[in-house]
Amino acid sequence: MVHHVAPYWNPVLETLPRAKLRALQLKKFQRIFAWAYENSPFYRRLYQEAGLEPGDIKTFEDIRKVPQTDKGMLREVQSRPPFPYGDILAVPLAEVTAFRQTSGTTGMPVYQADTWQDWEWWAESWAYILYAQGYRNTDRVFMPFGYNIFVAFWAGHYGAEKLGCEVVPGGVLDTQARILKLQELKCTAFMATPTYVLGMADAARKMGIDPAKDLFIKRITCAGEPGASIVATKKRMEEAWGCRVFDHVGATEIGAWSYSCLHQQTDLHVNEAFFLVEIEDEKTGAIIEEPGIPGKMIITAFDRLGKPCIRFDSKDVICWSDVSCACGRTFRSIAGGVLGREDDITKVKGVLLAPTAIEDVVRSFAELSYEYEVVVTRKADIDDILLKVEINPGFEGQEERILSQLKDQLRVVTNLGYRVEVHPGGTLPRYGVKAKRFKDLRTKE
Amino acid sequence: MIDRLDEKITGLRQAAQDVMAICGSNEAVRRNIIKIMANIKMLELNISDIKDLAEVS
Repeated sequence: MVHHVAPYWNPVLETLPRAKLRALQLKKFQRIFAWAYENSPFYRRLYQEAGLEPGDIKTFEDIRKVPQTDKGMLREVQSRPPFPYGDILAVPLAEVTAFRQTSGTTGMPVYQADTWQDWEWWAESWAYILYAQGYRNTDRVFMPFGYNIFVAFWAGHYGAEKLGCEVVPGGVLDTQARILKLQELKCTAFMATPTYVLGMADAARKMGIDPAKDLFIKRITCAGEPGASIVATKKRMEEAWGCRVFDHVGATEIGAWSYSCLHQQTDLHVNEAFFLVEIEDEKTGAIIEEPGIPGKMIITAFDRLGKPCIRFDSKDVICWSDVSCACGRTFRSIAGGVLGREDDITKVKGVLLAPTAIEDVVRSFAELSYEYEVVVTRKADIDDILLKVEINPGFEGQEERILSQLKDQLRVVTNLGYRVEVHPGGTLPRYGVKAKRFKDLRTKE
Repeated sequence: MIDRLDEKITGLRQAAQDVMAICGSNEAVRRNIIKIMANIKMLELNISDIKDLAEVS
């Protein structure tokens, strides 16, 4: 029996008039600021040094005076007791019930403490996401990820359970076993990184299984990489699986803050009832309210109490969308998901280059496999970009035409020239979790 | 509607706190009440938080 027929998980919050939503955000910011000030020595020091105390936050302008935090600060504070989180902790250590950590790809991992209530909040955040993407209690949801110290899809698991879905944990199975289990149980949905969604489709075809025809998947939710908001990658996934593919953006230190709904293609709603997202102009520091202007994201999780996340500089580059979503949610959307990371967008040959732009071009070529690799080097003060690709079976003998079109398209989109190398199918690295396809080796030379 | 829901949610919170206050060292009761209160908090986030925003237009 289907109990939920409304299009919203919570019609009250998701359709709240903007003025009320903004009033709610201000009230919730005041609450988390006061909580952190009173309970976290790290935040109290930070705010006392800035001359701020809870009563000082009366308007959104006041919020902009609140010092930002970043990953470096979260790492540094870990050297203080209590081990291993440091004095950012806002609850007694005995109240921490869950440990996760960041992958540590940009340095020492950040350890994340959550209380039981924080985990309930994670699941609640995911319930908003999954319900907006059409998940219901009639879905059998497969989870093909390693259940380990990374947050990955853990909260997706509990969010799906909260909706009443039947959740199948596919943790230690290998890819072939996971595909067979999807088929055996007639699972209707799963969650994975875009890389793994494409990799599973490849593996299924090698087993003689066409995911679009021989399996029963109706919806896929991606996270961990920006692919589901990149037009070409999303199209590849949807064609391979014959279903809708949705995106979600979150982070270990922040929570599950953004998602696409049934009406969106590459825009993502921000759950503004649970998070305050500010977009800051990287040059002037001004807050950007207009759509279409990219800036760095400063985010606050209103209701995460164990290790609060307040005005966190995530290094993500985003911009507001000017499209009013047909779903009726009053939550604003960001255009095209996360456009890049402040530290990923780099100057090559004097031109700003976002690796996601290369992915969008490569994956728009049906003649190329989904895998690619970009290596940037510097020789005699001149930057060199090497793009490695694989040509799909059936297109042998057409390399010259394909590479010529590829180089032209890359030049149009990125304003840069590339050396392109063709590698035999299946020889470029395959990634199970977060892919590292863009390698900037210039600083090492 | 919001007021009525909030009234019931407040009642749940009070009932959970009352059980916590009298459970003594019974861990089976105490830990389950902590879990129940986490769920009550989710009801507060979803409903009670907007109760006093009625006058905002």
